[in-house]
Amino acid sequence: MLFRKLWRDLIQNKTQFISIFLMSFLGMWIFVGMDSEASGAMETSSEYYRECNLADLWLRGNGFSSEEVKQVEEISGVNRAEQRLILDGDVELLGEKYSMETVFLTSNEISAFRLLEGESYKPDEEGIWIEQLFAEAHKLSPGDRLRITIGSLEVNGIIKGIVQHPEYVYYLSAEETMMPNYSNYGVAFLSEVHYPLKSSIVYNQMILDLESEDEEVQSVLKERIEQVIDRDSVVITDRSQCESYQMFDSEISQHTSMGAMFSAVFLLIAVLGIITTMTRLTANQRTQIGTLKALGFSKNVITRHYVSYGFWISLAGSIFGSIVGYITLPKLVFSAFEGSYIMPGLHPVFSDKAFVANALSILISTFVSFLACRKELIDPPAVTLKPAAPKKITHTALEKSRWWLRLSFSTQWNFRDVLRNKVRSMMGIIGVCGCTMLMLCAFGCNDAVVSMLDWMYQDLMTAQSKIIFSEEADYYTIVDYGKEYKGQLIQENAVEFVSEDARETGTLTVLDSGNYMHYQGMKLENISLTSDGIAITYKMAKSLNIGLGDYVKWHIMGEDEWEKTRVTQIYRDPSAQGITMKRETFERLEHSFLPTSLLTNKSVPQSLADRDEIQAVMSVADMRIAFDNSMEVMIIMIASMIMGATILGMIVLYNLGVLSFIEKMREIATLKVLGFKSIKIRGILQKQNIWITSAGIAIGLPAGYGMLVGICTLMPDTMDMVAEVSFPSYIYSVAGTFLVSVIVNAILSGKVRTIDMVDALKGVE
Amino acid sequence: MQRNDKWGGIMKPLIEFKNVSKEYKMGDRIFYALKDVNFVINEGEMIVILGPSGAGKSTLLNLLGGMDSASSGQILFDDKDLTNFSDNQLTEYRARNIGVVFQFYNLIPTLTAYENVALMKDIEKSALDPKEVLESVGLGEHMHQFPSQLSGGEQQRTSIARALAKNPKLLLCDEPTGALDTETGREVLDLLQKMSRERNRTVVIVTHNSIFADMANRVFRVKNGSISSITENATPISANEVSW
Repeated sequence: MLFRKLWRDLIQNKTQFISIFLMSFLGMWIFVGMDSEASGAMETSSEYYRECNLADLWLRGNGFSSEEVKQVEEISGVNRAEQRLILDGDVELLGEKYSMETVFLTSNEISAFRLLEGESYKPDEEGIWIEQLFAEAHKLSPGDRLRITIGSLEVNGIIKGIVQHPEYVYYLSAEETMMPNYSNYGVAFLSEVHYPLKSSIVYNQMILDLESEDEEVQSVLKERIEQVIDRDSVVITDRSQCESYQMFDSEISQHTSMGAMFSAVFLLIAVLGIITTMTRLTANQRTQIGTLKALGFSKNVITRHYVSYGFWISLAGSIFGSIVGYITLPKLVFSAFEGSYIMPGLHPVFSDKAFVANALSILISTFVSFLACRKELIDPPAVTLKPAAPKKITHTALEKSRWWLRLSFSTQWNFRDVLRNKVRSMMGIIGVCGCTMLMLCAFGCNDAVVSMLDWMYQDLMTAQSKIIFSEEADYYTIVDYGKEYKGQLIQENAVEFVSEDARETGTLTVLDSGNYMHYQGMKLENISLTSDGIAITYKMAKSLNIGLGDYVKWHIMGEDEWEKTRVTQIYRDPSAQGITMKRETFERLEHSFLPTSLLTNKSVPQSLADRDEIQAVMSVADMRIAFDNSMEVMIIMIASMIMGATILGMIVLYNLGVLSFIEKMREIATLKVLGFKSIKIRGILQKQNIWITSAGIAIGLPAGYGMLVGICTLMPDTMDMVAEVSFPSYIYSVAGTFLVSVIVNAILSGKVRTIDMVDALKGVE
Repeated sequence: MQRNDKWGGIMKPLIEFKNVSKEYKMGDRIFYALKDVNFVINEGEMIVILGPSGAGKSTLLNLLGGMDSASSGQILFDDKDLTNFSDNQLTEYRARNIGVVFQFYNLIPTLTAYENVALMKDIEKSALDPKEVLESVGLGEHMHQFPSQLSGGEQQRTSIARALAKNPKLLLCDEPTGALDTETGREVLDLLQKMSRERNRTVVIVTHNSIFADMANRVFRVKNGSISSITENATPISANEVSW
C-alpha cells in the first residue's frame, strides 16, 4: 500500500519529481554518452592498433641497413623490425596537384594497413595501395592508374587496393597546418620493389614491434637500441610522440573529462532538487508520518518509504539517461569524427565507469532523501503528529537599521522570504548560475575558436598567401621568388627537442627579413624577436619543463648535428609548437638558411602550384575555411551546451517557482483578500526572481570563465587556446539566462489569478 | 484491583498507570503535563477521559498509545512496563495492541478508503479483511474513494475501520467527533459503543465535551495534569440518547 502512496505522491508532485528525473537524466545522458563514446573510441582504437600491429617504436634517420634490422631484432624484447622509406610526393588528378605521402614497404607486418577493397599486399609485387578517404574524394578505385612524382622520380602504377593505415588515423600534410582535410592530400603504400631506383634505396625509417607496452621497459629498450645503432642522427620515438596516435588519444581523454565536468553540474543540481523537494515533501507530510508511526509502522519502514522516492526517481532518470546517452551521443560525435579521424569500426562501449557513475548518482540521491526525511523521524509520534513549531525568526541587521522602513513592502517581503528559505534560494541561485555558466562557456568556446583564427591569420601571420616550395627548389630560385613577390622567406622544419625531463617533437621556424610574422608573449603582448638566443612557444616550454634562460637541446630531423641553445623569449602560438629564431641566429649556429616557404601579400596565381619548384600555394581564406570545416565536434559541443543550459535553467527556475508558489499560496491569498491586484502580486514575485537570477548570473559569469579556462587547458599539447570571452558573448549569456527566467515566470505567474482566496485560506488539513 | 464487569463477571485489567508523570523542560522551568497519575483500565470497558484543553488528556492518550514515553512512574501492560520500552518495542506495542482514531481522521490522502485500511496488512499480516471491516462500519459503498471525496463522517468511519482492522486490544479515540456535525457525530459514537458492547473491546475516548460522559462505563476527569475524579456509570446510556 505504501508503494501506491509513493506512486500517487509522485504524480501529485510531478513537477518537482520530473525535474529531479530530468536532472539525473541529463547528468547520466552526458556522462554515459561521453563516456561510452570515449570508452568505445578507446576500445575501437586499441582493437584496431592490435589488429594492425601498430609499431611501438619508430627510428628515423638515414639509411637503415638490413644488418641493422637484424641487430635490432636480436635485442631481447624486440619482436620484429622493418625498414621502410617515406617520401613526399605529388599526384596530379584532373589538372589539380595533390601531395601524396609515399611509403615504400619491405613487408606489411608491423603497422600493417587494412585492406578495404582490392588485392592484398604481396612484398614482391608492384602496385599502389591508397588511403581510403583520398581515394573516395577523387573516385579512385582498384585498377586505376596513378602517377606519383617524388622530386625527380616518377612512380607509375596501378591501384591495387583501398586501405586504412593505423599510423594515419590523423595526419596533416605540410600545407595543412591546423586541421586535416583528407581530400587534399593522401598516402600511398607501395612495395620496395616498385621503387624506381631499387638498387640504391635508402630506408629512412625503421619500425619496431616490441613484446611489452610498458613505458619503462620501452625506455630501457630505447637505450639498448641507441647503443646498437650508434648514430646521432637517429631519432627514436614511441607512440606518445606519434602524432596520429597522440591526437586521437588526447581527443578521447578530453571528451572524458568534459563529460565528467558537465555531468557533475547536472548531478549537483539533481541533488539540490532532491534536497528541496524531499525536505518540503516530508515537512508537508509531517502529520502523515506521525500517523504512520502512531499506527505502528517502524522507523525503518517509513524511512524506506521516503528514501524510495529519491531512489526510484534517480534510478529511472539514470537508467533512462544512460540508455539515451549511449544511443545518441556516440553516434553524433563519431559522425563528427569522420572528417578528422580515420578510425574504422567506431562503436560505443558501456564501461565500468558508466556503471559506477550510475550507482553513484542513485546512491547520492537516495542518501540525500534519507537525510531529508530523517529529521521528521527523530521525535516520538506524539510530537510528529502536532504541526511543527514555527522557525525561530531573528531580525537581520538590515531589518533593524533605519533604512528598513524606507524600503518598499515588496522589497521587505522578498528580502525576508529569501532569507527564511535559504535552501530554496540557494538552489535557485545555483541553478541560474549553472545556466549562465554553461551558456558563457558555450559562447566562449565559439569565441576562442574564432579568435584563434583571427589570432593566427590576423595577428601572428599577416600575409595573404603562402607559397610552399618543393624539395627540389634551390636557394637561388627561392630568393628570386622572394624578390618577385616582395615577400618574407621562412624556413620551417620538424625538429626534436630534448630537455632534462622530456623529449618532444615540434617545429623550427627561421625568419628572413620581412614583416609578415609577428610574435606575442605570455600576456599576448607584442614582442619582437631578439638575436641573442631562441624563442620557444609556451606550450613547448611547458612540455619540456623549461623556462627563460634554460638551455634546450635540439636538432633538425634527418640531420646529425645537435644544438644547445639558450631560451631568451617565450611566445605563444595556437597551433605550431616549437622554436623560432632569426636568420642571423640560425646562421651563427652554422646552419645554412634554406627557405621552405614564402609569405606575401601580392596576389599569387593558382597556376604557380603547377611548377616543379612549388609544392603548393595557399591563401588565408582557404586555410580559414579548412579550419572551419574541421570544427564540427566543437559546434556539436557548443550546441548541446546551450541546450543543456536552457533546459537546466528552465527546470530549476520552474521547479523553484512552483515550490515557492505552493508555499506562499496562503500569503498570496491573504494579499488578495487584502485587496492587492494580481498584477501587483505578480510584480512582487517577479522581483524575487530578478534578484535570484541576478545573483546566479553574477556568480555564473566568473564560473563560466573558469570552466572555459579549464576546457582550454584540456586542449592537446599542440594547441594553445586562449580563454577569451568577447563582450557580446557576455551579453548573450546574461540575456539568454534572463530570457529563460522571464519565460518561466510568465508561465508561473499566470497561476496567481487561479488562486481561490477562500479555498487557500481554509484549514490546513 | 479487580472489579465486576457489566455482566457481573470478573474484569481483567488491561493497562495500569502507577505514579506516572510527564514533564517538559521549558528553559530552566519544569512543566508537568501529567503528575502522579494512577488508574487501571479493564478489558472491555468504555472510558471517557474528560477535561478542558491543556489539562493533560492528550498526553494521557499519547502515553496509553505508546506514542510518547513517560518521564517517571510505571505503565503496565500485560505485566510489562512500557516506560522501559525501546523505540522499537514501542512501535511493536502500537502495531500489536493499539488502534487510534484521530480528531482530523489523519487518513493518507493519496490512498483510497480501502487502501487506507489495507495499509494495516503491511504492519500486521493477520489484519482483518479491509472490505469486511469497512462494511462493518457502514462504508461498503464508498470504499474505493479517496478521503477528499468522502464526507467527514465517512472519513472518520474509515479511520475507525483502519483502527479496527488490526483487531487492537485498546482503541484510543482523540476527540473522534470534534470535527463532525451532530448527526454524524452520533453515528460515530454509536459505532464506538457497539465495538465496546458487542465485541468486548476496550475503548478510550478523549474529549472536552461532557455530554459523552453518560455513555461511558467510567469517566476520568482530568485537571491540571492529574485525575481529579473517576466516576462510574452503573447504566451507561446508548449513543442515540446522548443529548447534544
